[in-house]
Amino acid sequence: MDSAFRSGAREGMRAFLPISVGLVPWAIVTGIAMRSIGLSELESMGMSLLVFAATAQLGTLPLIASGAPLWLIFLTGLVLNLRFVIFSAAIAPAFHDHSLARRLASSYLLTDGVFAAVSEKLRSSDDPQWRWGCYLVPSLYGWALWQVCALVGVLGAGAVPQDWSLEFMATIALMIMLVPMVRTRPMLLAALVGGLGTVLLRGMPLRLGLFVAIALGIAAGFAAEHWQERRAAR
Amino acid sequence: MIEGVWLWITFVALALTTVITRGSFILIGEKGRLPPTVQRALRYAPASALAALIVPDLLLDHGHFQAFNPKLVAGAVIVAIALRTRNPWLPFILGMGVLIALRKGLGW
Repeated sequence: MDSAFRSGAREGMRAFLPISVGLVPWAIVTGIAMRSIGLSELESMGMSLLVFAATAQLGTLPLIASGAPLWLIFLTGLVLNLRFVIFSAAIAPAFHDHSLARRLASSYLLTDGVFAAVSEKLRSSDDPQWRWGCYLVPSLYGWALWQVCALVGVLGAGAVPQDWSLEFMATIALMIMLVPMVRTRPMLLAALVGGLGTVLLRGMPLRLGLFVAIALGIAAGFAAEHWQERRAAR
Repeated sequence: MIEGVWLWITFVALALTTVITRGSFILIGEKGRLPPTVQRALRYAPASALAALIVPDLLLDHGHFQAFNPKLVAGAVIVAIALRTRNPWLPFILGMGVLIALRKGLGW
């Protein structure tokens, strides 16, 4: 382990440590939510370790509980993870000189928090070892913190009375994510169309209404952005 | 409820969505570039998808439209808190508190 790696690791941890506190309630809630639909302790931790994506886990739990078809669960997970395509495109240059194994590990470990904390720093360094330390160490720390807190939720879920509607915590977690996103009008429109559209189209077969509504929401947000720009240009 | 082997197959499928999306550009390296138009449109995917999962839970009761219900009230409280504070615990504590109080306290 050379000094560039260690100096990168220090820099990355300094940026990520303060915001990592936010992971704690999220991970506990995700652990509780998995148990609340009837997964065993082992199944819950298996899901946590394999999927390692809270939004996709929380969003697909109701589908798993209702026995939805696999392709629908897969597509829903894909849509919920779509934001990572943008993160991946933004952060990819930092890994282009690394091995495939490292890039695969970096992919699995990419989270919102670490991306927010270190993506700018990664762009500023030419030293591959420094970048690797700056990304890997906070990511591994975040991963370990997440899994430990998820385990706390999984083991603690049994202590909470059944009739407390704990599954609602998944919806709260998704709301905490959504609220800071809708700071602009096009974003608000995308959320309203996606949300109300799903309610209105709930009669469509195979829960296709969910996808139609999400696509309509994306289109509405994008169209509103265009319209806003054209008005501003005039 | 999905059970047994199919549950684990489901987890693996979801793990694939994690690696496919997060690895998309990291794995293909320098060669791939997303067209700017697609990149701009994709920025609206998370908000639309999150709302698509949240709103039905707040407005529907077993598939039936319910304009005014405990979850919607709790939801309004959660939005109000999330707009004012970055405290990660408060929305969970107050949101669940309101829901449980309305359901158990008032029998709604």
